[in-house]
Amino acid sequence: MSSTPPGGQRTLQKRRQAQAAKDNKAKQTPTSTRSAGFGGSSNSILKIFTDEANGLRVDPLVVLFLAVGFIFSVVALHVISKVTGRIF
Amino acid sequence: MAGEKGNQNENILESPVKFFQEGNSFLSKCKKPNFKEYMQIVRAVGIGFVAVGVIGYAIKLIHIPIRYVIV
Amino acid sequence: MAGFRLIDTVKPFLPFLPEVELPYEKLQFDDKVLYTVFIGLIYLFAQLPLAGIEKDIVPTINDPIYFLRGAFAAEPRSLLEFGIFPIFSTGLIMQLLAGLKVIKVNFKLQKDRELFQSFTKLMIFVQYFIFANVFILAGYYGTGLTIFQIAVLNFQLVGAGVVATLLVEIIDKGFGFTSGPMVINTIAIATNTIADIIGVSQIKIDDEGHTEAQGALINLVQGFRAKHKTILGSIVSAFNRDYLPNLTTAVIVLIIGAVVCYFQNFRVELPIRSTRARASNTVYPVRLLNVASLSLSFSYSLLFYIHMTAFALLTLVGKNDPSNIVCKILGHYENVNNILAVPTFPLSMFAPPRSFFGGLVQAPLSFVVFPAFIIVTGVWFAYKWQGISGQSARDLAVDFKEQGLTLAGRREQNVAKELDKPISLASATGAAVLAAIAIAGELLGLKGKATSMVIGICGGFSLLELITLDYQQNGSGSSLSQVLGAPTNM
Repeated sequence: MSSTPPGGQRTLQKRRQAQAAKDNKAKQTPTSTRSAGFGGSSNSILKIFTDEANGLRVDPLVVLFLAVGFIFSVVALHVISKVTGRIF
Repeated sequence: MAGEKGNQNENILESPVKFFQEGNSFLSKCKKPNFKEYMQIVRAVGIGFVAVGVIGYAIKLIHIPIRYVIV
Repeated sequence: MAGFRLIDTVKPFLPFLPEVELPYEKLQFDDKVLYTVFIGLIYLFAQLPLAGIEKDIVPTINDPIYFLRGAFAAEPRSLLEFGIFPIFSTGLIMQLLAGLKVIKVNFKLQKDRELFQSFTKLMIFVQYFIFANVFILAGYYGTGLTIFQIAVLNFQLVGAGVVATLLVEIIDKGFGFTSGPMVINTIAIATNTIADIIGVSQIKIDDEGHTEAQGALINLVQGFRAKHKTILGSIVSAFNRDYLPNLTTAVIVLIIGAVVCYFQNFRVELPIRSTRARASNTVYPVRLLNVASLSLSFSYSLLFYIHMTAFALLTLVGKNDPSNIVCKILGHYENVNNILAVPTFPLSMFAPPRSFFGGLVQAPLSFVVFPAFIIVTGVWFAYKWQGISGQSARDLAVDFKEQGLTLAGRREQNVAKELDKPISLASATGAAVLAAIAIAGELLGLKGKATSMVIGICGGFSLLELITLDYQQNGSGSSLSQVLGAPTNM
């Protein structure tokens, strides 16, 4: 049993290792997309949609046209109810 | 780490007086914008705000004839 | 594998959730401007009145969330009855819960991030549906609706919600500038502020067919030639009319905007030095308004949920009948001006008073509970958010290390700890300051306009900063710069 004197390099090393392990652990599951390194909300900006998830893929221009189409369908509803003179 | 954070959190929530003092001293330590900087911010934000608002309101004006037609 | 996770519940719905494609390559500055402007205009244009409700009926219940609308770009009795509230609040609260590890999600995995995002979207759609039907069932759109009318109302309200969500998504995914919810919110707030001051649209104010302009300033000018009032009376009315924006509130709102601008550049500068090069001392600024308007948005999100729940309980269970047991506990709604449903005692503590002096007499507790609620939730949120949003002291310390920077006069290992103190204090104090400004305005009886102004100016400033940065990086070839002349100097 060789006993090393307390303190010295080894303790420092251990401390460093412990610190590194702690840091690693803390970083294992990031708290947000940005801290994981993939953009997203920052401290003053809220961003919700940053990744392309599975789902019904649509082109942004199509969405814009659909949005305008939706608005005009509501206008059409107004016109219909006006023309028929009653609420359906 | 977690415990430490918890403590700080309790400090902030449970002793509003301390938080108030700390915040106050922080505010007094802050570097405040001078008049020139302030005018710059007001101008930049103001121009942006008014420009966006006027364009937006112009669009909303379209609603007026529509309301007349449909209501 | 790892047991039940909330975000996995979205999997069966994935094929039905619309998903905007990411851009193939980074967009040009001009294209971004076009997308952002068009989306803003579509959003504003979508604030159409709802079709399918009868015009002359008196609704059994009026607008219960009038003071929350400004903060979330919501227009009463329009397609966007709830504005972008479900989007904003769900995004904010879900990300907060994930950051606090209440919801298990590993942001390092692509799959998890996608699921989390889809789950958020599903929650948004569900909320639009629930809110719409609470309002329909409560009689907000009139009583005795036919099944067909209810279906049409659902189509409009939920459809508008889906459209708004997708518009936000387009901006978020890099077709527009920075953040969708904040861009739309800022545009709507700017528009409403302008409309309140110089809006020219004439609105009927009484049964005899008299009209007054929406804008406070226009109203003052028109007052000089109004037939139904004396000149003095119309000037007084221009400053204190209750049913439409008046000049007093307009002035207060502008003052609030100026005060918020003043606080924007408050900062503490920490001296930093390079570990590589000698004698290159610079400063790292820690901004006071670190989390900007998000803290206030969070407080208002909570308020919105409280009021929606109370509204559902009071109207659906309690029938808004003061003798009902639910209404005895929570209070009920009273009609004011035929457009507002103002909550009474216990619930009124969480609502700002309608006017300063009237409020002092009728609801003195509102002057204590409401501010306390906003400040406490705002400060708590700011403190948590700065830690999880990816720009906390620990993340900064890593950045510093990569760039070979350190705080002057501190040991390198302690950078994270040394940074944590000023940053968390700045976030919390900044949130308290913003909350105080907004409350000061609200207690004067601005019915949500003060908060929306604070959120608008703060959000506008955050966006302007990032857009200017974007412009400096990619905007050199922009044809807009030739049209507009020199870029805004920040």
